[in-house]
Amino acid sequence: MAQSQTLQNGASSRSETQQADTATQETPTRSNGIKQQVNSKSGHRDAPSRDDSATNTEPKLSGAELKKKQKAEKAARRAQAKAGEPEAGPGGGNATLNAQGQGEGPKKSKQSQQEQRAQGKPGQDSRIQHKSSGSTASSAPRPVALRRRPSQSGGASKEPKKSDKEVGLFRHLYGQPRRYSIEGASKEVHSAVLALGLQMSSYVVCGSNARCVAMLLAFKSAILAYTTPPSTSLARHLTSHYLSPQIEYLKSCRPISISMGNAIRWLKDYIIKIDPSVPDSEAKTSICSTIDTFIRERITVADTAIAATASSKIRDGDVVLTYAKSSIVQQTLLTAHAAGTRFRVIVVDSKPLFEGKNLVRHLAHSGLNVTYSLVSAAAHAVKDATKVFLGAHAMMSNGRLYSRVGTAIVAMLAHERDIPVIVCCESLKFTDRVALDSIVTNEVAPPDELLLSAEPAMAPGQSSQAGRASIARWKDVPNLQLLNVLYDVTPAEYIKMVVTEYGSLPPSSVPVVHRISTEKDVRV
Amino acid sequence: MPHATMPSPGFQALILCGPGVSLNTFTSNPKEFPKALLPIANRPMVWYPLEWCYRMGITNIKLVTPAESAPALEAALSQNPHLTSLPAPRPDVLAPPELTQTTGTGDIFRFPSVRAAITGDFVLIPCDLVCELDGSSLLETWLIHEAGLGGASGGLLDFGVTKFGMGGEKSGRRGGLAVWYPTKGSETGVKNEETDFIATTPLPAPIVTPPRGSLRSDIAKLVYAIPTDTLKDITDEHKSFHIRHRLLRKYGRVKMQTTHRDAHIYFFPYWVLDMLKANESFDSVSEDVLGWWAKAGWQEGLGDKLGLREVFEGTPSTPEGDIPDALVSSGVLEGEVDVGSMSSTWTSTAQSRPQRPSDVFASRVPSLITPTITVNDPLTIPPILAYVQQPSPSAPLIRRVDTAAALLVTSLHLAKLPSLDSVDSRTTASPFAHASKIAYPDGISRPSRVETADSLLAENVTVGAKANIKECVIGANCAIGISARLTRCLLMEGAVVGDGAQLTGCVLGRRCKVEGGEGGDGERTKLVDCEVQEGNVVPWGTEAKNEKFMVFEGLEDDAEMEDDGYAAEAVDDSLGVEEGIEDNIRVQMHV
Repeated sequence: MAQSQTLQNGASSRSETQQADTATQETPTRSNGIKQQVNSKSGHRDAPSRDDSATNTEPKLSGAELKKKQKAEKAARRAQAKAGEPEAGPGGGNATLNAQGQGEGPKKSKQSQQEQRAQGKPGQDSRIQHKSSGSTASSAPRPVALRRRPSQSGGASKEPKKSDKEVGLFRHLYGQPRRYSIEGASKEVHSAVLALGLQMSSYVVCGSNARCVAMLLAFKSAILAYTTPPSTSLARHLTSHYLSPQIEYLKSCRPISISMGNAIRWLKDYIIKIDPSVPDSEAKTSICSTIDTFIRERITVADTAIAATASSKIRDGDVVLTYAKSSIVQQTLLTAHAAGTRFRVIVVDSKPLFEGKNLVRHLAHSGLNVTYSLVSAAAHAVKDATKVFLGAHAMMSNGRLYSRVGTAIVAMLAHERDIPVIVCCESLKFTDRVALDSIVTNEVAPPDELLLSAEPAMAPGQSSQAGRASIARWKDVPNLQLLNVLYDVTPAEYIKMVVTEYGSLPPSSVPVVHRISTEKDVRV
Repeated sequence: MPHATMPSPGFQALILCGPGVSLNTFTSNPKEFPKALLPIANRPMVWYPLEWCYRMGITNIKLVTPAESAPALEAALSQNPHLTSLPAPRPDVLAPPELTQTTGTGDIFRFPSVRAAITGDFVLIPCDLVCELDGSSLLETWLIHEAGLGGASGGLLDFGVTKFGMGGEKSGRRGGLAVWYPTKGSETGVKNEETDFIATTPLPAPIVTPPRGSLRSDIAKLVYAIPTDTLKDITDEHKSFHIRHRLLRKYGRVKMQTTHRDAHIYFFPYWVLDMLKANESFDSVSEDVLGWWAKAGWQEGLGDKLGLREVFEGTPSTPEGDIPDALVSSGVLEGEVDVGSMSSTWTSTAQSRPQRPSDVFASRVPSLITPTITVNDPLTIPPILAYVQQPSPSAPLIRRVDTAAALLVTSLHLAKLPSLDSVDSRTTASPFAHASKIAYPDGISRPSRVETADSLLAENVTVGAKANIKECVIGANCAIGISARLTRCLLMEGAVVGDGAQLTGCVLGRRCKVEGGEGGDGERTKLVDCEVQEGNVVPWGTEAKNEKFMVFEGLEDDAEMEDDGYAAEAVDDSLGVEEGIEDNIRVQMHV
């Protein structure tokens, strides 16, 4: 159902975009993006129900008659909506805009969008109805609808264009556009958290461990700056009223990682259990020292333990293959090198983050023998490898590995050649969730990041038809979608071993370790 | 004034309210009317930096001013309608007793009262800054590139000084950010504006393409900065400009620009205060601090000479004993985690340092005998970033208004902004837009002609019949006479232009008067590009170009200088004289 629907949308919006191109176009702004998101969502929610109603009434009237009648109804509704807009429209529009913190969008576009919203919905409905009422009659009324719409809205309707740029299979993952600005953030958000959010959205801080540690440290600064308001207690107020806005802000910058989620759960749990009679300063000190202990136990010391175990698996003459950069794999390789093991490393890397380059640079500086290749040459690179070490974003309870996109293909190639795949992962990254594929849960990053040029969006107005310019202006090219997902899921059968601070285990033991580690947290 | 909700960005702002030497026609009385209160487009000058700070969410603002100007500034803050309409909390006026009108900007930061007022990272801006560019976009740039990782910060917290953390200065973060704007290529340019010579080198390519609206493409690392005048002196003296090889060895691509000017917007981390303290010879922030800091980034050993090693590694400001035990036990000061080396988009450096000997020695040399490098360990100097604005007609205005010409040009530019009542929504209006172009429409007699598109008339301005006003900014309570013609003029509050006077490109001080008269007898008043000082009276029949009408008290003997003959002579002279004495000063007796 979902797929067929997206196809419909794609097909109908094709002519839509062409026509939109001829009309005057506003330069897309971020506020537009949000708006469109709202629009497309509401449009979607509406779609199935309209669908049903259309099919229900269909037997009584012929397709063409039905269309005529509905068109008349729609025109009436539209006229009504337009008349009622001055009262109802701006209020609603402002509310959404303010909620998104994009209040500075130009008024003109706001107005036109409100119009579009009022008009776009019925428009979309009609299209879906055309489809549902059978293909024989659908060709005749459509041009009419298209001709009428621009004359009324007077501008390009961008809403179908936007949904056209979202890859159908992953549409549920698009959500809020990523935040790049501190504007509109809650006043509660501490400056350290503000900085961290922007660093995460620009990938300065990237990687599950780094983000988790940075978040905990930033929370530490935030908690030190916190004072409990009178007539409430720290245990009650801190998590719900102070930490929550910080977490919300971080989430708006980039979806939080599994490890961050686990750490937040642990932290909230700890704070709530603080005795309300404990004075503020004492409570804050104890929270900070617990955070430090947590970081040490669950990450730094765990990393050392994992690196020690995993490095013992590397033998002289081994060729270790790894993918992208994982801080713990890096530590493992360095530990093995420091122990005097002679081995070679192949780093497989991918666009657009090129995290592997940083690993290669560091390993080469440290005197290791390193080969670098991109994931497109993974099949070739795997030929030489004797072991594969992978880092993790998370380990799922069904034993699957959730990690940087491209990991699965490396693991698969290694599995094909019977090369052992070893995952290094702290128990903090274990989750009770399961994942069967990388579609249901994933993170879709802004597609512009895939563009090579340093200034892709800077030249939307330029008319140069050079090849690179046209990919940079991919949003104007009909039927072109870019997909930038960050993670994929590696099946458990490709993984020979998971090295954790609790020891080395098969992927099927993940839920057990997860239970042990969370129980231990509760005991602490 | 629309202010979006902004979280507190962890900065405090220091606005330096200086004497205004280059605006001496209007700032001769710093006690009653300091430079900071000079009107730019009918708002006090200091309103602009204040508004800029509030717009980016900074509410902890200190106005640093000499003691003699402090009362006037305080009074204005509580009375001036523009200043009182700014959001709460009100800025504090800081008037260190040691501060005089001639103190260097570097010295200010060695005064105990100023040092005590700065408790963390700070933004340093001058009072004559008009900056349309949203401060938050600069701030976001700083946060992304320079803010400490994992909440690492420097500065005074309530329990003492925070140490420099792993994610901060030690990993080469928490540097500064400064802004340069182009002096050429925009309509608001002023002739002979001061410029600075800057050399920058590009930052490493961003990890992913920065989002639209990011300033990233114009951000570079500053490696050299001196005023262009100094550069001229150097080139005159040596017939060439010498650059160390070291610079080119370290940075392959260095871009040098001479037509930009330092906007004096500095985002400084707290440790800059310690650097200023360690170097008593730093006289000016813009020249010394920036210049030496930029050089220290590539000139080996310079950081040590500037005492930066002590700044970064020693305990600054407060002795060790102050730190309470609870803090130590809480782990705030121990067990640091290097977030940078964990991040998958970073090349770890901190760990590679102890392993560097392996590059030098064969692996069979036991690690015990490898020398421990302590002394020669190069100091990591956090960079100072430069936002160099590219000249473009649509670029947001950044300008320092420190000359009369700049005052006029900037005021006229701001007067062209559409007012709030003409724009259908407040959201599109410029932050500097006024509520309406003509605050008091009833004061304009008819028939008269006022170009509202590029003029700005404040409250209670009366315009006589048949007057013609084009491209003017007229302050409150001004009176324009019948048939007066004003083009490209700036009138401060209470100025009076008599009947029939013709003024072009003039700046009239507060309560000054250009006398009017009958147009019939061939006599007329025609002023072109003149400046009239506060309270001065220009008699009917004066024709002048490019002059300053100033009052000198106590020069009774030279009464005859008022002679018309002198004026004519002065006009002739002014044509041939070079920039140093570009203006003639018409001296008048104070009545």
